[in-house]
Amino acid sequence: MNLLDYVPGNSFLHRLNPVMKLFAAFLYGIACILCGSVLMELFYIVLMVLISSFAGLQKRALRLTRNLLVLGLIMFLLQLLFVRTGDPLLVIGGFCVFTAGGLKSALLLSLRIVATMLPLMLLFAITRMNDLCGALVKRLHVPYRYAFIVTTAFRFVPLFTTEFHDIEDAQKSRGVEYDTGNIFHRIRLIVPLFVPLLISSMKKVDAGAMSAQLRGFNLRTVDSGYHEYPFHKEDAVCLAFLAAVLTAAVVSMVL
Amino acid sequence: MLKFDHVSYAYPGAAHTVNDLSFAIHPGEIVALIGSNGAGKSTVSRLANGLLRPDSGHVYVDGEDTGKLRTSAIAKKVGFLFQNPDRQICQNTVREEVAFGPQVQGMPEEEIRQRTEEMLETFELTADWFPFTRSRGSRQRIALASVLACKPKLVILDEPTTGLDYRECIRIMDYITGLNRETGLTVLMVSHDMELVQEYAGRVMVLTDGRLVGEGPTRQIMKDMSILEQAHVLPAQIPMLALRFGDRFSGVYTVEEMAEAIRREKQMSPGESDGKCAEKRNAAEAIPYLRENKSNPAEVRDVKASNGKGGVQA
Repeated sequence: MNLLDYVPGNSFLHRLNPVMKLFAAFLYGIACILCGSVLMELFYIVLMVLISSFAGLQKRALRLTRNLLVLGLIMFLLQLLFVRTGDPLLVIGGFCVFTAGGLKSALLLSLRIVATMLPLMLLFAITRMNDLCGALVKRLHVPYRYAFIVTTAFRFVPLFTTEFHDIEDAQKSRGVEYDTGNIFHRIRLIVPLFVPLLISSMKKVDAGAMSAQLRGFNLRTVDSGYHEYPFHKEDAVCLAFLAAVLTAAVVSMVL
Repeated sequence: MLKFDHVSYAYPGAAHTVNDLSFAIHPGEIVALIGSNGAGKSTVSRLANGLLRPDSGHVYVDGEDTGKLRTSAIAKKVGFLFQNPDRQICQNTVREEVAFGPQVQGMPEEEIRQRTEEMLETFELTADWFPFTRSRGSRQRIALASVLACKPKLVILDEPTTGLDYRECIRIMDYITGLNRETGLTVLMVSHDMELVQEYAGRVMVLTDGRLVGEGPTRQIMKDMSILEQAHVLPAQIPMLALRFGDRFSGVYTVEEMAEAIRREKQMSPGESDGKCAEKRNAAEAIPYLRENKSNPAEVRDVKASNGKGGVQA
């Protein structure tokens, strides 16, 4: 299953106002970036996995955590080797391999990558793109055209992924060697992959735009949608929780 | 040329898509793989060119087990024409596009030039066209030209004529059969267009739920309703009409054969016709309806039934 796919449900998290979900994902991400403590960052990751479990999404959260840790590991090594603040921690033959500042910075950055992505995954898993678009128009008075652009961009991601794989298969079938191990060779063969993808994307966008216009896209205003997106007490609880998370992050940064 | 030896394959999280499948296609054959949607036709074709790998069993191309070969290596022997040519076309001119396949397969420069010119001429393509803006039929011909430029021994056509008009469809299939006659090119066509299969395939394999439920010469399969029904497909219109007309029309397969059979039945003496063979009479009575292009057998039967003359024998 794609990490951006919506998972239907009626949990506490699903029932939140879409604007609140977007706001919450954004604030949680900010808290993770502000956080200055490694332990606190770890706590935020665990907390987000637990929160995901309320919507039955703990497996997806753990899978994303595992995948992101690979990226985190690369960032960890780069930070560890290139950040030179603080006392030397490992010295080999008179050469300082890494420092205390480097270690802390490396740990914080790699954990931050995971911690900031998890709430975004949760946002997409518990929010229908139509609802997000509708709520942005109704509650925040974002012009429909812009709300539509944002939500459509996310909706197209899985379509392009599938198309990308199909193009790769078509090119492999005519002898383009994407299936060899040589990364440099594969980079040179990027044209046969991206040109068809670009062309098909443009065609899809063109067809989508025409279809939207035929359905009165230009006539849509705030009053066009019949769905209302009121805020409930669950949203207030969520806001209070976010305030606590953000405060804790600021405190950990100051201390 | 192509051999499946007890091949099974299942997509992740799904039951078997292809189940213990064994068959062989010999050099120079044109074989059609037919079946309803989801029968596993495209999976078989992808297993044949290495885009998918069998969970169990072996696939042999030209006597070589493809298990350890890369897809791009198999491509030197197996050309694959996809339903959608736009996934393949990636160069700025038709000439570059046709030459691209042989280039990536490491063909010598002189041979590439020669093959490209040959293909451009054969497929009536203008070398400097910008391929992306051509018609669907032209794009499909460009894709086919670039596949055949690589000189494959086996070509797999995955629904090659979907979205094409009849003229383009015939044009493409005529090129293929011409090459088959002249060079002995082996063809596996995956299709559910029975008219196309009847016209061009020498042998048919019928697939249902990932299993072969029948195979044999096209004529034989087209009149075997028990096999076709298992695959949820209907024969082409003429064999279907022949089946409806009954035993006297058994084996009638083409428009010419049907016209000849009807002419023969019409010429029969009234006495013989009245006494002995209801099918002949029914067929003769069907002629006016056929002339009015009401060639759908069900329609003929219904009109006749409403006239109180009795139904055409099914």
